[in-house]
Amino acid sequence: MELTFWLVRVLGIIAGVGAVTVLIAVLRGLLTVPNLAPLYLLAVIQCAVSWGWWPALASAVLAFLAYNFLFVDPIYTFTIHDPQSALELLVFLAVAAVTSNLAARERARREEARERAEEATLLYAVGRALASRPLEEALAEVAELLRETLHLRGCAILLAGPGGQLEPKVSVGEPDGQFTEAPAEWLLARPRVDQPTRRWIAVRRHGRQRQSASHQVPLRVDERPVGSLRLAAPPGGLRPQAARLLATVAEQLAAAIERERLRHAANQAELLRRTDDLRAALLSSVSHDLRTPLAAIKASVGSLLQRDVDWSEADREGFAEAIDREVDRLDRLVRNLLDMSRIEGGALRPRREWYDLAELVREIAARLAPILAEHPLQLDLVDDLPPVRIDYLMIDQVLTNLLENAAKHTQPSTRVQVSLKRTEGALEVCVIDEGPGVPPEAAGRIFDKFQRASGKGGPAGSGLGLAVSRGFVEAHGGRLELKSSEAGGASFCFSLPLEVPSSEFQVPSGERELETQNSQLGTSK
Amino acid sequence: MSGARILVVDDEPEIRRALRANLAGHGFEVTAVATGEEALAEASRTRPDLVLLDLGLPDLGGLEVCVRLREDQIEAPIIILSVQEEEEQKVRALDEGADDYLTKPFGMNELLARIRAALRRAGGSSRSGQALLTIGDLEVNLERRQVRVRGAPVHLTPKEYDMLRYLAANAGKLITHRMLLRAVWGAEYEDARQYLHVFVAQLRRKLEEDPAHPRYVLTEPGVGYRFESPA
Repeated sequence: MELTFWLVRVLGIIAGVGAVTVLIAVLRGLLTVPNLAPLYLLAVIQCAVSWGWWPALASAVLAFLAYNFLFVDPIYTFTIHDPQSALELLVFLAVAAVTSNLAARERARREEARERAEEATLLYAVGRALASRPLEEALAEVAELLRETLHLRGCAILLAGPGGQLEPKVSVGEPDGQFTEAPAEWLLARPRVDQPTRRWIAVRRHGRQRQSASHQVPLRVDERPVGSLRLAAPPGGLRPQAARLLATVAEQLAAAIERERLRHAANQAELLRRTDDLRAALLSSVSHDLRTPLAAIKASVGSLLQRDVDWSEADREGFAEAIDREVDRLDRLVRNLLDMSRIEGGALRPRREWYDLAELVREIAARLAPILAEHPLQLDLVDDLPPVRIDYLMIDQVLTNLLENAAKHTQPSTRVQVSLKRTEGALEVCVIDEGPGVPPEAAGRIFDKFQRASGKGGPAGSGLGLAVSRGFVEAHGGRLELKSSEAGGASFCFSLPLEVPSSEFQVPSGERELETQNSQLGTSK
Repeated sequence: MSGARILVVDDEPEIRRALRANLAGHGFEVTAVATGEEALAEASRTRPDLVLLDLGLPDLGGLEVCVRLREDQIEAPIIILSVQEEEEQKVRALDEGADDYLTKPFGMNELLARIRAALRRAGGSSRSGQALLTIGDLEVNLERRQVRVRGAPVHLTPKEYDMLRYLAANAGKLITHRMLLRAVWGAEYEDARQYLHVFVAQLRRKLEEDPAHPRYVLTEPGVGYRFESPA
């Protein structure tokens, strides 16, 4: 790279001077102007504009020598006989020097303006990347921007890990591995941000080892190191203004890194707070829900044990039945709590086997006939559907929960409908009732734990049913939702994704059927 | 039936007390023990007619007791008493020779019904060797491999027929998935329960009059199937 740099300039100077020399030689024959040396100013100023002052001076000197050698008596020598000619040449040299200086300064100013514009663009792009993208992506983009703008060989960003050690997060360009390692002293030394420290590192390139300058800019927040920015400089080295630019970028990077850390910490704190809230709600709810049936049992048992009252057979049976009911209620609550804690703890392992969903719906509906005794049940099932892989017990519980809810929250003789159909990539089961439905303000919360519908007589639930049901459905990769129903009642739908079974068996075929049955016939079994 | 000797194995004293009182009240002769070792000793000594076995025993574990009872040539029906969390153990116990199960907390009526059904099966005549099985509206002609439902012939695929034959021959008994797979598809498929239910669904479709109320092939969720003859 560096060779090309100089080669271009040297050849350029020679070419420029050479071209003007030829021009002068030609014009001397045509015009009678004694001194055409000023024509060299064309080459000199071009050099100044393109490459700066030193190349321009070099071309001025070369031009001086060339003119002296070729066109001033005695020609082909470097001596000048005529003092007048000597003076003219010296004046030329002086003028060349001054004008090239001016041109070079203009160039420098233009360069600087361009660099400033580049820097501004870079800072804007860096700021935008850090503000709008996730941190890792933003870091990659920033490293690439730096590499492009500063023509770096390579750029890497390292972040401080929990133990204080630096871990490479992002690296673009080359060199790779050697670049991101650094001796400890170098890291522990605390260079100033606006004076990137420099170190020579060995770089293997095209099979040859070369020296390359590597710079490190620490990223700090309030004197606390959060990372490090590493650069492999371009062949010409980093330009002086780069230090200032790097300092600004470093500050932005450090701020972004710190922001990410704080966001993470805030999330953790929020999570802890929610867990605490949940624990409090759980304790108060469970305490109430466990104690209520226990109180009822105690009351019944206590009554039975009283010697001073002569209970009739009917009384005794009433107490016993009450105890039986409350025990069932406790059992259900315990089961729900255990399921809920398994769902929350991620310990749910559904044992999934292929079932025909229509048949399962029928089985469960038949088993729940006593609960649905006062509601005509309509099964709207499609039969030629592919089987799904489900955990029978879980889906049983989901459907039971939905049907129990439907029975509980609607007036007797209203219809309960269970539909099954295929949607895109899934099978969907809906339990639709004709009750009052779910008020819109409650709709967002009903799947939360410990939510109960307000005011309804009859056996109260634990408020966990829908939460557990949703957990079970989601464990199958499906979804359980409340959908709005045209009739105004509640429509709870869960979907189970379809998978492709292996070709070992055929899917049974059948036709669509619509069944209506009054479940009052199903009470005897 | 009454006078049958029942061995109760449960480490909870309250449960032993309640079971003993209730079963004795229904005419059974009850012995109650608290550990697996005691159960094995008592069973080999007295040869009970039925064993009620809790899975969560402190020393051996109900599954182990089940296996060893069968190894000791105790053929009496074993009914497992388990809690909800012991699903896998329960199924394995059923695979290893237990006949039926109840999940705690259970109702007494249900327990008595299962005890009676198990004793009836144990005492009943063996169904093998019969050429014609008639169960309710179902007629299975074992010689000709023909099946009729409500008088009309039904075409079954070979696997469906094998399933029906196995289930009908063990009517009333709880058949686990593994037992069914082993009997119909062979021992190497006994863990392939993935597809079993779909085959059973096909069979049901052909046999049952009202698919919403299956009479013959009943599902025991999570465990297996039971072929019931209508009362």
